[in-house]
Amino acid sequence: MRNHEVSQGHNRVRLELGALSVAGLAVLAGWLGFPVAGWAEDATSAAAAVSYRDIPQLGGSRNIIWVIAQLHLLLAGFVLGVPIFAWLCEIVGWKTGEKRYDKLAKEFTKLLTSSYATTALFGGILLFLLIGFYPKLMTYLTDIFFPSFVAYCALFLLETATLYLYWYGWDAMLEGRAKVLHLFLGFLLNVFAFFIMVIPNSWATFQASPVVIAEGSSLARAWAATWNPTWWPVNIHRLIANVVLGGYICGAYAGVRYLSAKTAEEREHYDWMGYVGNFIGVFGLLPLPFAGYWLMREIYQYNQQMGITLMGGFLSWLFILQAMLIGVLFLGSNYYFWLGITHRIPGAETKYKKPIMAMLVILLLCLGVWMTPHSLVASLEEARKLGGTHHPLLGVFGVMSAKMTVANLMILVTFMSFIMYWRAGKDETATWAKLARAVMSGVLGVAAIVVIVLGVWGYFVPAIVRINYFSVAQVLIVLFVMLTITPLTALLLKSARTTTEMVWGRMPPRAGYALVLNAVMVILLMTLMGYARSSSRVHWHIYGVMRDSSQYAYSPALGYAAAFMSLNTFIFCMLVAFIFWVATMGDKAKAGGHGYPAMAGGSQELDRNQ
Amino acid sequence: MSEVVLLQLIGLGVIGVGVLILLFIKSRFPRVIGFVMIVLGTFSLVALSVPQMASLPPAEEKFDVASIKTANDMAVIGQKIFFSKGQCALCHSIGPSESARCPDLKGIGAKLSREFIYESLTQPQAYVYLDYRHEGPPKEYPARMPHINKNPIGLTNNEILSVIAFLQQMSGEPITVSPSEITADGKPAPVPAAVPPAKGKSKSKSVKKADAGLVAMVHGQ
Repeated sequence: MRNHEVSQGHNRVRLELGALSVAGLAVLAGWLGFPVAGWAEDATSAAAAVSYRDIPQLGGSRNIIWVIAQLHLLLAGFVLGVPIFAWLCEIVGWKTGEKRYDKLAKEFTKLLTSSYATTALFGGILLFLLIGFYPKLMTYLTDIFFPSFVAYCALFLLETATLYLYWYGWDAMLEGRAKVLHLFLGFLLNVFAFFIMVIPNSWATFQASPVVIAEGSSLARAWAATWNPTWWPVNIHRLIANVVLGGYICGAYAGVRYLSAKTAEEREHYDWMGYVGNFIGVFGLLPLPFAGYWLMREIYQYNQQMGITLMGGFLSWLFILQAMLIGVLFLGSNYYFWLGITHRIPGAETKYKKPIMAMLVILLLCLGVWMTPHSLVASLEEARKLGGTHHPLLGVFGVMSAKMTVANLMILVTFMSFIMYWRAGKDETATWAKLARAVMSGVLGVAAIVVIVLGVWGYFVPAIVRINYFSVAQVLIVLFVMLTITPLTALLLKSARTTTEMVWGRMPPRAGYALVLNAVMVILLMTLMGYARSSSRVHWHIYGVMRDSSQYAYSPALGYAAAFMSLNTFIFCMLVAFIFWVATMGDKAKAGGHGYPAMAGGSQELDRNQ
Repeated sequence: MSEVVLLQLIGLGVIGVGVLILLFIKSRFPRVIGFVMIVLGTFSLVALSVPQMASLPPAEEKFDVASIKTANDMAVIGQKIFFSKGQCALCHSIGPSESARCPDLKGIGAKLSREFIYESLTQPQAYVYLDYRHEGPPKEYPARMPHINKNPIGLTNNEILSVIAFLQQMSGEPITVSPSEITADGKPAPVPAAVPPAKGKSKSKSVKKADAGLVAMVHGQ
């Protein structure tokens, strides 16, 4: 009963604050909408002939769309990533019986209600702006995709109803078969969320890789346009990226709370939470480059010109920045694992110092190769001025064969960091432990050698052979390593004896900053690749079909774009911080100014009621 | 002040504010904001330090039929198209180049007939479709060369003829394209019948292995 009252109080506070935040954002929408209304008056005379509208006083239509669309996409990624994260945690809690996982899942689900509304609000603003700024394009897309608009609305209704049941039914479905039903609701929530993601993906990917739309029923035309060559690669890439985003944002939240923790209990809790967030982030990060590679391959197959624009044209330097951000993300994630080994496991520092140093050196070397540009220029005139486009020594690292190799090696090293962390402080007592360790070492060593050999061999075969066979083989080898060593380690540790208990809450402050850095890197990467995807269409709204004839038909240079990426990242971080603050405000009040809030299962109130 | 300098100053300013926050504010949350500002400012500065290349929409070469008097006029326009709307220089070089992804076009106008060049531009898959550069039976060989008369590049017939004029002139050959072939609407003329390339190469599936490399080169591989 008391728990129910507490829950009601929280809900009231949240609803009031949610209403305030919605009202605030509505004012923002009105502020943006006001000039549009004024402009629309001018446009009425032109009626349906209007192709573009603009608000130059607010920075121009393209920039406004850039900010709103990016924020909507990041929030959508968050809203779709958190249910996956929460559901995974709930399953772990259910299977292991550890209540803290269930609490963590519940409290992250709580965020969904407020962030869901904010995401929808930004989606609404984006839609109004698109209709206002690009009427001709939107008419064209509506004509093709109208049936999917209807499906999208229906899915939103289902998603909302499921979210209500999932969140409000949490406490009523804690045990037994009711819990299984709750888990099923979580599954449904993610299924609906997945389809809510893939439908807009079809609109965006159609713009990049349109297909010929034959005559037929509106449903058949919409389906034909939806099933375009880059639709599924983008779906899979975004699905995995959302898991990564959800995990690292959880980690960043834990990092901030850890830094400001006042008691040992708080430090222990947020240290553990940071570990879970980082783990899920890395779990998603490892297969993400494979999905990215598949997407890039499909782009090349769809249109060589678009692929060249991305990888060898004016966007080629973007991929150096991408390598830098991914490199920092890999380093940050590994660094957090290494800090965990040396600070949470007493006595482990000396034992793991050498392997950690070796892994650091490998990661830095790989990053150096990955960041080596292929060519420094894009035009013949510039090449003539420089007397060539390749560095005589380092140029050899600038090609895809080298980059694929080091990307796979970095994934292997990160995976081994995790395995090392998993096994630290435990004595493997199984009779076959020695054999298992030898097998694992052998698999890892052979895989690394084969990946390098294929990488070197890739220089001497036609590109088509390298792309179709060697690169795919490298990816499969790394996946094989993960799928072999993970279950083997799990079996090995099942009977292992813990020699040193893990001590939570002893991480240095830089661990908290590392978690924040990882989240910022993921968000920046999403903004960077959003710019790449949009710019790869060059001066086309719909590639090869509808040309952009507005004054904004050009793609800005990287420096200008990076300023927008940074701005969008900062605004998004502040929005997420605001959502977290709103969601935990009521809990802090209930905690009476001491202890830590219910966020992520830290509620003393909830603990007492378990 | 250029846009890049202005953005660099803003980036430095953001980093400066972040550093000041870390130096003088003890409260944790503002310190995290300061840290994020430093990261974002640094990222912006790095992005500003790489070559700044914007992608401008290609200028549409307007054909004033009345102004084209000679074949040389066509070659001049063809050169502009080669380096702009046609995007040929993105892959092809004129003269040896390490960065060229596709064959060097130096002297191509002397090696191939205009009809064959036309076909290579508009039907890149028409001639070479088997790859012999591996062991075993030949396989289908997807040409990298895009259909130049279709979107996204979409050169008009007049523009394609001008590019051919440029390629011939650049190879020191007499220009066989005539201004009289320029049409007012610029629509593609009917595709010429497949014509064997110059220098006696036959159009056949059974291209000899020894020839495959050269033939592949012709169509952009």
